[in-house]
Amino acid sequence: MCCLLMCCSSLLPATAGDPPHTALRLSVRHLVDGKPLVRRDSVYTNASGETFTITRFRYYLSNFSLLTTDGKELRLPPNYFLVDDSIPSSKEIVLNNIPAGNYSGIRFLIGVDSIRNASGVQAGVLAPENGLFWTWNSGYIMAQLEGVSPAVKAPSHQFLFHIGGYRKPYSVLQPLTLSFPKPLVVAAGKESQIKVVADAGKWFHAAGNVSFQDVAVIMAPGPNALKIAANYFHMFEVEEIVR
Amino acid sequence: MNRKAWYIASAFCLLLLLVQAGRKESRGYSAHAAPDPYVLQLPPGFPPPVYNFSQNPLTKQGVALGRFMFYDYRLSRDSTVSCGFCHQQFAAFGHFDHALSHGVGGQQGIRSVPVIFNMIWQKEFMWDGGVNNLEMQPLTPLTDHAEMAVDLRELLKKTQRDARYRKMFKEAFGSEEVTSERMFKAITQFVATMISAGSKYDSVMRKIPGVYFSAEESAGYTIFQQKCASCHKEPLFTDLSYRGNGLPYFAPLNDAGRMRITSDSTDYLKFKVPTLRNILKSAPYMHDGRFFDIFQVFAFYDHGVEPLPGTDPQVKKGIPLSATEQRQLYHFLNTLTDYSLIKNEELSEVIIE
Repeated sequence: MCCLLMCCSSLLPATAGDPPHTALRLSVRHLVDGKPLVRRDSVYTNASGETFTITRFRYYLSNFSLLTTDGKELRLPPNYFLVDDSIPSSKEIVLNNIPAGNYSGIRFLIGVDSIRNASGVQAGVLAPENGLFWTWNSGYIMAQLEGVSPAVKAPSHQFLFHIGGYRKPYSVLQPLTLSFPKPLVVAAGKESQIKVVADAGKWFHAAGNVSFQDVAVIMAPGPNALKIAANYFHMFEVEEIVR
Repeated sequence: MNRKAWYIASAFCLLLLLVQAGRKESRGYSAHAAPDPYVLQLPPGFPPPVYNFSQNPLTKQGVALGRFMFYDYRLSRDSTVSCGFCHQQFAAFGHFDHALSHGVGGQQGIRSVPVIFNMIWQKEFMWDGGVNNLEMQPLTPLTDHAEMAVDLRELLKKTQRDARYRKMFKEAFGSEEVTSERMFKAITQFVATMISAGSKYDSVMRKIPGVYFSAEESAGYTIFQQKCASCHKEPLFTDLSYRGNGLPYFAPLNDAGRMRITSDSTDYLKFKVPTLRNILKSAPYMHDGRFFDIFQVFAFYDHGVEPLPGTDPQVKKGIPLSATEQRQLYHFLNTLTDYSLIKNEELSEVIIE
């Protein structure tokens, strides 16, 4: 009988000990200067008065931590997300195994931390076939904005902003903190949700004006990439705490 | 409990035991099929490897897969160019008689093919050090439009469809799934086994009985130590630094060197110091392959240096080398040819039908 019990217990599915699913969902919406981002179709105007359309908008997010209402920073397990405007599911970011508690804000990196830039081949969203790892000068393209503007002098009129760089003095990595409009209460076993907007229009003016006349193609770390990164650092905002 | 229930319970228990035993057996079988460790013989006197093997332990099956891919021309866009196409074993995995690299569709690059061996001691790759990890190195030639020009996603699909590759990926990594991570790690495993430390020079240094430098080789070694060794540092015969050697700028190629990577103007026209191991087998010389003969290189250092602000102070005024010294140096460099590398059957081309 003892044997029977042992045998049976080894076959039981291991559900009893699973912790309840406590997660935080970030639902991201893309805008351009407050208007919805519609790739190819919507025409926008930058601060220099140049019109443009957007064909591609992608960026990595990583190194998330939550700020507790009592002023502590809680680092979440390493996780990497590739948000691609053309893939709706990529705009739903789910951070799992969040400890229950009250949180006042969230901190993260736009891009991939320097360690993963230099640790050899990576899998998943960091895999090289995603086309966001420079082949000739190793490192991730942290954020990518491409489009068309008549102000670009080249025959294709394309602008290509591939922003990266993980080494000083051209590192574009800088942790960014978003404060919640009111404390977020994460309860055990529940999924909390916040709505976040990312405004691609900020790439052109948040910290310093960018004109296509000056630069239309950025494909390497350097001063131009730093300038854009200083702008896109301001593109996120918490819109609403849903639950 | 009645007797009938006991029988049923016992029979059920026996059945479960049999199932468990069967599972153990199959587990035992799969343990047998796990890849076999590959023990890399590290040469005495070399520094510890830079490459971190902890996330990519060498296995015989992993190395075999990497070797197969290294010689598989189907990895290129039009199935004409393999890694081994440019990295020829008899040329110490450089490209014999080619000043500049070339790839699919008659495309030509702007630099000469670097030799591939002792890569696990390098922290950066390419002439300008632009690639920061050995595992990432395959990405560059695979995707460069002037080399293999492949779309990585297409390549992964194509490889996944190939029954032979599915089998080899399973043997090396436990499942048939083809991923870029597995692909690059397998190539890295094969490249890690390309070690050159078996030249006559090495035998002399290890005091192998009966192996001595000739008088000319010995004189050449002295000249090397006096005039070359500070950059071409033993035992790798490179200090892996980036330096300007005063090579006249060649406008048509418009190659800024290391500055392209660092955006630092002090790195203008600097290139990685190449190894001198197997140097007589790996002509042509310099980052653009402009010299086809080692004596042209000697002549350049003797009287051809054109100093620029970024030129290394050690070569700014040239390196005087008399005809006798050049001859002696040639004889010494000849002792750096490693037949245990260029004739190693474990590294040789796999013929792919």
